[in-house]
Amino acid sequence: MDTGINIFCFSASYAIALALELSGLWAPFRLRRPALLFAAFAGLVAHTWYLAYRVAETPAAPLASQQDWYLLAAWAVAIVYFSLKFYYPRSSMGLFLLPTVLGLVGASLLTTTEPLATFQAPRIWGQVHGVFLMLGTVVVLLGFLAGLMYLIQSYRLKRKLLTDSRFQLPSLEWLERANSRSLGAATLLVGGGFFTGILSRLATEGDQNFVPWTDPVVMSLAAMLLWLVVAEVFRLVYPAARQGRKVAYLTVAAFIFLMLVLAAVTLRDSLHQKTDKRAVASPPTVEVRNEKPPHDRL
Amino acid sequence: MKNLRMIGCSHRDAAVDVRQLLAFNAQQTAEALGTWQSRFPDAELALLSTCNRVELYAVGPTEPEVLVEALLDHRQVSSKQVEGHLVSLTDAEVVRHLYRVTASLESMVVGEPQILAQVKQAYQSAQEVGTTGPLLHDLFQSALRTARRVASETALHKHRVSIPSIAIADLASCVFETFNDKHVLVIGAGEMADETLRYLRDAGEPQIHVINRDAERGQKLAQRWAGQYHEWSELWDQLAQADLAISTTAATEPVVTATTFDERVTPHRHQRPLVVLDLAVPRDFEPEVSEALGVYLYSLDDLAQACKNNQTARAAELPRAEKIVTQETARFAAEVHHRATAPVIAGLRQELERPKKAELERLFCKLPHLGEPERQEIEQFADRLVNKMLHPPMESLRDASQNGTPHGLLDALRRLFHLED
Repeated sequence: MDTGINIFCFSASYAIALALELSGLWAPFRLRRPALLFAAFAGLVAHTWYLAYRVAETPAAPLASQQDWYLLAAWAVAIVYFSLKFYYPRSSMGLFLLPTVLGLVGASLLTTTEPLATFQAPRIWGQVHGVFLMLGTVVVLLGFLAGLMYLIQSYRLKRKLLTDSRFQLPSLEWLERANSRSLGAATLLVGGGFFTGILSRLATEGDQNFVPWTDPVVMSLAAMLLWLVVAEVFRLVYPAARQGRKVAYLTVAAFIFLMLVLAAVTLRDSLHQKTDKRAVASPPTVEVRNEKPPHDRL
Repeated sequence: MKNLRMIGCSHRDAAVDVRQLLAFNAQQTAEALGTWQSRFPDAELALLSTCNRVELYAVGPTEPEVLVEALLDHRQVSSKQVEGHLVSLTDAEVVRHLYRVTASLESMVVGEPQILAQVKQAYQSAQEVGTTGPLLHDLFQSALRTARRVASETALHKHRVSIPSIAIADLASCVFETFNDKHVLVIGAGEMADETLRYLRDAGEPQIHVINRDAERGQKLAQRWAGQYHEWSELWDQLAQADLAISTTAATEPVVTATTFDERVTPHRHQRPLVVLDLAVPRDFEPEVSEALGVYLYSLDDLAQACKNNQTARAAELPRAEKIVTQETARFAAEVHHRATAPVIAGLRQELERPKKAELERLFCKLPHLGEPERQEIEQFADRLVNKMLHPPMESLRDASQNGTPHGLLDALRRLFHLED
C-alpha cells in the first residue's frame, strides 16, 4: 500500500486500546477512557482507510482475497466494539472483543493474498457467498464472546465476586439475549453462505460445475450449518435451552465448528483457487500489490 | 475573614438525644433565623439542621458565646444539657468544616449523597428569610462547588454502602438489564423489604408480589408499593414465577429448604435466572438452594461483606477528597483576602483617574483643532497608561492575598498615594 497506512498501523492502535483496557484492571487512571476511545477510533479510521483503498485499488475488494475477507471481519468486530463502548462505557467487553479483532487481523497475515477464484462463477453469487459467510463468522464470534461473558458473569454471581468495579460485564439478561439472537442470525447467515456457495459452484462454467462434498471446506461448513440448525431447533423446542447457560454452551460449540471451518479454509482451500489454465496463464483481473508470498499448500 | 463563625454539634461530639434537643425542622429554622435577624441585624446567618448535625453559621461581630446563647434560648435548652457537646469554629476552620460537611466527608456514612441537598436547602432557607450576605453566599456556593468536585474527581460516591442499595444496584442489576415488568416476590414484611423496594422502585417498574404470614401487614406493604398480596400457601407457585425474591421473615427456621425448592420450584423454572436476597436473620433460604442452576442466592452476610469492601474502597478515596477540600479552602481564603484590598484598589484608580481627566482637558483646550477620532485615540492612550500603571500594584496585592490580608502593603499604598480610609 502506498497510502502510508498498513496493517501494522491499525493493529498497533487496537493493541494500544487493548493495553488501556487491561490497565483498567490494575491501575485505572483518569484519562484512560478518552485515551482508549481515541486509540480505538484511530484504529478504526486507519482500518477503514485501508479497506477503502483496497476497494479503490481492486474492484472485487474487500472480499478479493482471504486476507481481505479476514480484515473485513475484523473491521466489523471493531465497529461493534466501538459502538458498545458508548452503550456500556464502564464494561470490560473490550477485553474480549479487542483480542478477537487482533486475532482476525493476525489470521489475515497467515492467509493468502491471492485473488479468490470468484470470477469463474457469476460474480454476484461469489460476492453474496462471501458477504454471508463473513457476516456469519462475525455473528458466531460475537455470540461466542457473549456466551463466554455469560458464563464468567454467572460464575462470578454464584461465587459472590461482584464487588470489583474494575471488571464489569453486561447483565446476564443482556448477554442471554445477545446469545439467542446471535444463534438465530448465525443459522440464517451461514445457511445463506452455504447455499449461495453451492449455487455459485453450480453456475461455474466448464468442468467445475459440481459440488465437491468430500472437500474439507465443504464438509466442515456443512457440519457447522447442521450444528447451528440443530442448536436452533433444540433452543426452540426445549424451554430450558432458551435461557441461561445452555444458550451460552450452544454458542461456544458453534465457535468450535467455526474454528474448524476457518482452519479448513486457511490450510486446505482448493475451492477458491484458480485451477483454470486460462486464468493462470492470463494476468489476474485483480491486481494485488502485497508482496507477501502465497501460503504453502498442504 | 470578617468574623466567620460556626457553633453547633454533630454525631461526632453529641449523642442522638443531645442532637434531638437542638434539632430544627424547616419551619422552626425559618422562625429562628427571623428571630436572630432582629437580634443581630448586622450579621449574616444560616442554620443547617439534619438528623446528624445542628450548625449555626454566622458572619459579623457577634461573639460565639452570644450565638450559643441565642441557639439554646430558641430551643429552650439549658447550657448544662449540652455541656461539652457544642463545637465552636472560626474563619478558615469554618470554611474547611463546611466544605467537608457538604462533600459528605463529615457524614456518619461517608459519601452519602443526601447532605448536599440539605446544605443547599439550609442556604435557600436563609436566603428566603433574608439573613444571607455576600460572604455567606460565597461560602455556601463554594461549598457546593467543592462537593461537586469531590463527587466528580473521586470515586467516593460510587461505592454504595447500604445493604438494600448494594442488593439492587450492584447485584440484581448484574442479572437484569431492566427491572420493568420483573416479577418481584417479597417474603415477609420487614423493614429491610420496605427499604429494598424503595430502591427497586427507583430503578424501574417491577410487578411486586407480597407473601406474609400476617395478612394485615402483608397487605399493607403490598398496598404501599402498588403490589399484590398472596396467601402464604402460594409461596412455591410464586417462587416458580419470580425473577427476584426478597426474604425478610422473622422465622427461626429456614422457610425454603433445598429439598422442597428442588421438588416444587426447580422443575417449573427451566433454569430461568432467580436472584434471591435473603435479608433475614436467621436465614430464610437454606444455602444449598444456591446450587440449583440459575439461582443466585445472597444472604445478609454476603451483602454485608460487599458493604465492607465498598467502605474500604471509599476510605481509599478520602485522601484525594481531602486534597480538594484543602485546595478549595485556600482558594476561598485568598478570594476573601483579595476582596479586602478592593477599597484600596478603587481609591488608587480614582487617584489616577483624577489627574488623567485634568490633563486631558488641558490638552484638548490647547489643541482645539483635534478631530473626534484623534481625541478618542488620545483618551484611549491615557486609559491604557493608567491601567498599565495600576497593573503591578494589583498583581502584588493579589499575590500577597494568598497568605492573608496584606495589611502592610495596603498601608503603604494608602500612604504613598494619600488614599483616604
